[in-house]
Amino acid sequence: MFKKVLIANRGEIAVRILRACKELGLQTVAVYSEADRAAVHVRQCDEAYLLGPPPARDSYLRGDKIIEIAKKSGAGAIHPGYGFLAERDDFAQAVIDAGLVFIGPRPSAIAAMGDKGVARATVASAGVPVVPGTEAEGNLSDEQLLALAPDIGFPLLIKATAGGGGKGMREVRSLEEMPGLLQAARREAEASFGNGNVYLEKLLLNARHIEFQILADDHGNVIHLGERECSLQRRHQKLLEEAPSPFMNEELRERMGQVACKAARAVDYLNAGTIEFLVDKDENYYFLEMNTRLQVEHPVTELVTGVDIVKEQIRIARGRKMRYSQEDIRLNGWAIECRINAEDPYSNFMPSIGVLNSVIPPTGPGVRVDTGVFAGLEITPYYDSLISKLICWGETRGEAILRMRRALEEYRILGVKTNIPFHQRIMDSHRFIAGQFDTRFVEERFAMHEANAEREQLTTIAAIMATLVAHRESQQAAEIIRPATRDTSNWKWVGRWERMQR
Amino acid sequence: MKYIATTEDQTFTIEIRPNNQVVVNDESFAADFQSVAGQPIYSLLLDGQSYEALIYSRESPIQVLLRGQLFDVIVEDERQARLRQSTGGVQAQSGEYHLKAPMPGLIVSIPVTEGQDVEKGGNLIILESMKMQNELKAPRAGRISRLRVKPGDSVDQNQVLLTLI
Repeated sequence: MFKKVLIANRGEIAVRILRACKELGLQTVAVYSEADRAAVHVRQCDEAYLLGPPPARDSYLRGDKIIEIAKKSGAGAIHPGYGFLAERDDFAQAVIDAGLVFIGPRPSAIAAMGDKGVARATVASAGVPVVPGTEAEGNLSDEQLLALAPDIGFPLLIKATAGGGGKGMREVRSLEEMPGLLQAARREAEASFGNGNVYLEKLLLNARHIEFQILADDHGNVIHLGERECSLQRRHQKLLEEAPSPFMNEELRERMGQVACKAARAVDYLNAGTIEFLVDKDENYYFLEMNTRLQVEHPVTELVTGVDIVKEQIRIARGRKMRYSQEDIRLNGWAIECRINAEDPYSNFMPSIGVLNSVIPPTGPGVRVDTGVFAGLEITPYYDSLISKLICWGETRGEAILRMRRALEEYRILGVKTNIPFHQRIMDSHRFIAGQFDTRFVEERFAMHEANAEREQLTTIAAIMATLVAHRESQQAAEIIRPATRDTSNWKWVGRWERMQR
Repeated sequence: MKYIATTEDQTFTIEIRPNNQVVVNDESFAADFQSVAGQPIYSLLLDGQSYEALIYSRESPIQVLLRGQLFDVIVEDERQARLRQSTGGVQAQSGEYHLKAPMPGLIVSIPVTEGQDVEKGGNLIILESMKMQNELKAPRAGRISRLRVKPGDSVDQNQVLLTLI
């Protein structure tokens, strides 16, 4: 059984895994790129080794080097986190071949779920409903896809076979615009994944994105930890998640949970994973994909179930039985997570880079902050823009929202622009409060500048504060150019000074 | 000192007097205004009401981020305001506009060509950075006079990418 874990990741998730290891009394090994020498995970792990230059392909994607470091440092296991190497079956296999433990699913399950076509064919044959599309037909040419499109019906989505995170994805409203969008999607997929293959999928309208957290051990146990609501997205990137979903009822949760466990069993799943569903307004649900890793949004599930998912991952990887059975899992209260990104919500969510001058995270009851940043850290263009996850728990959804409002207002991040104002607007939005939203909400029915009564009143205050700053700055400028005040002429003063020096 | 502040199509006449007195459209307030720890965070106590805001004043309009809402405020002193009135208040819409890279990154594609006319808000360049493809848009209508980069180029922050006339 391993006593030392290598964490093959960076940022907040490396810190999250490190915390679990420390609580379990495990030794930790960090790896880092040249851009991350001062990062929290490097300083807080027991050991840390350099991987290479900042770009991910020269550092965090260097599976060979990571395995070499693990062996040299005596680590018995590797936790991949999310992103980077987390869903690469060849890396998982290489870890096992090197005699180490991969804290995650078996390579065969990663491979089966990694190719979306295979994934959907596999779960469909196990009786899990899937969204209509061409994914099971293999890689088709543009001509074939154009011919099949009318059968699926518009609007539809072009998705990358090897894709994820919204890359290589395009929405098509009509046959006319499809050829151009196909090219764009293939180009982006090629650039992102080195694989330009795409497939078509029916776009469900007013659909919600609801996912189930799965845990499976090596003793044949598969359980689910309830759902997460992830419908608030922009360009298919999740921005805010909550658990449970305001859309869910006990009966539907039980049905979908069982289906999720069935999908996991279909690929002989091990460790933590997530089954994503699209759910329409009539409670029809369709399997979307399985994420064979720890999710960014896992903390909301942790807060409502009380299960430490990362510790459970490690326990399972050590070959032990899970600490929980399905009956032990009870949902308590409500949790919301806001992803705090270095993005400017006022200019089209443009990423923002720079040095963080000051970071003051919120504290107090029911607030959790998962982050790897600190004042003085530089946000570089090499990695994604997630700088922190703010998670709030409340006894009810209402309390969680009010608490999140309070925490967002406390959060101070200076030096880069962040999307905190976006989350504040969402927390004030009547539709969000009422739970009336779907995956299109942010893009179609949301504006950063919405007229409201508070804004009316604040306009005057903003004008006063801006004026006070302008006044202060013009006063300071005047100070600088004002001549020094002496009681005698400066010429006389220089003359005396020179004579004194003789 | 008297200033004219304009935001959200509203104009405020704001006079700053010594002894922390602020007169807004003839209404007088006691204002205690402090910057916090040398950061662009400012605390205002206005007749006992407490407000805190992040204020970016390097460019005009001044950006005020207050209670999660952003306000663009143009502040002028009386002389500047008079000057603008006498020139008719028309902001120059002509002249060259240099599109600069807001961050270092990789040019993915350029959907426009030299000499092409573009609409306000039209896509000029797709820049990849932080694992995202970002669309750089035209701030106004115009013609592309010069393209300085090509797809595949790596660019530095603030590097000029193209010129719009």
